[in-house]
Amino acid sequence: MKRILLIVIALIGVLSLMAQEEPTKDRPVRAPFNSGILIDNQTSVIPADKTLEFQIQHKFGKIDNGFSDLFGLYAPGANIRLALNYVLIKNLQIGYGLSRIRMYSDFSIKYTIHEQTRRNTFPVAVAVFANMAVDGRNKSDFGNNYKFGNRYSYFSQLIVGRRFNDWLSVQANASFTHYNITEPGIDHDKVSVGFNGRINFSSQSSILFQYDIPLKIKSITEHREWTNPAKPNLGIGWEIRTSTHAFHIYLSSTDGMIPQHNTVYNTNDWTKGDMMFGFSIVRFWNF
Amino acid sequence: MKRKIFFRLMLAVAAFAMIAFVVPQEQKKGGPWEIPKEYKEKKNPFKDDASLVKLGRTIYNKHCRSCHGNAGLGDGVMAKNQKTFPGDFSSAEFHKYTDGELYFMSIIGRDEMPNFEKKITDEEERWAVINYIRTMKK
Repeated sequence: MKRILLIVIALIGVLSLMAQEEPTKDRPVRAPFNSGILIDNQTSVIPADKTLEFQIQHKFGKIDNGFSDLFGLYAPGANIRLALNYVLIKNLQIGYGLSRIRMYSDFSIKYTIHEQTRRNTFPVAVAVFANMAVDGRNKSDFGNNYKFGNRYSYFSQLIVGRRFNDWLSVQANASFTHYNITEPGIDHDKVSVGFNGRINFSSQSSILFQYDIPLKIKSITEHREWTNPAKPNLGIGWEIRTSTHAFHIYLSSTDGMIPQHNTVYNTNDWTKGDMMFGFSIVRFWNF
Repeated sequence: MKRKIFFRLMLAVAAFAMIAFVVPQEQKKGGPWEIPKEYKEKKNPFKDDASLVKLGRTIYNKHCRSCHGNAGLGDGVMAKNQKTFPGDFSSAEFHKYTDGELYFMSIIGRDEMPNFEKKITDEEERWAVINYIRTMKK
């Protein structure tokens, strides 16, 4: 595990040095994605510096009850996340969000280390995303021996993406999640991988897709066997982008809004139809 | 008493209706643009680059269409909310502007026409929009 971390840190260091080299005439490709989020994932895209984003994310209930609750639209237990992000300097964004599930407060940072260039001098975009979340439930929900540190969880992700042409952009990611405290039977640490992308079908609309897989790695698990491991997260959606907004309407198999929760606690199995509708609205202001 | 209230109410409705006729509903036309010399003389490095038309259309649809309309007639869905008519890009009068002047009007903006420097950051994309607007002649 330490070896993997060292390799990731070394890779980030090398890429950062490359990013600081003298600018060449090879310019970055046009935006591979329309916004910084893609259903439940992050993209390598960060808006122009001094851009403020307000994100409204909403997930309904599971679709499996059919018409009785209109495929989950009227089901109880919907999840909501409201967030503000701000681009401090070019390619560096910070943010804060608050979710209904576990009342997570998440503080995030994203840095696009290098953008893909048009003449393939640098053929991919590379970004890192990290957050720290604070579980905001009542003290009594944490059982005996309560410490404030029990509320913390961390998520870090390396994103590598490529805009192949005007209509297709794809990303792959590798992530590490850590919870200071978890429920019995659930690992504190989890490594996951995933891929996602967009297919443009008009000047303002795209189809989005994602698939995230929490890995079962024996060397880091604390348990002899996995009794109820987190399930992969499948998502498919439709994105509409205007000058000041990005809208997503999607189907996703996780009810969480922050990536560490989705990686560790997702019990929904998309192969059994455990999916739910959701939408996101992102409003951009430039200063 | 009831008749008095009814009479006053009718009077108020009649006054409102008359005011509605008197207050002009049309949008005003924008006054002449004050365009700095550097923009008037600004040259379009991508003039007649047909490969940019598709890009120009994409960016126009994303940032401009909601006010200026599909064909640039100033009839987009948001146009009615503006105090100033967004302009007719198909008119001969409009096409008398130089590319540099159109650049200033489109990217720098004024009043209700927003600034797009932070939204369209790439110079090539800015000129692609100008080139696309140029295709909207009658």
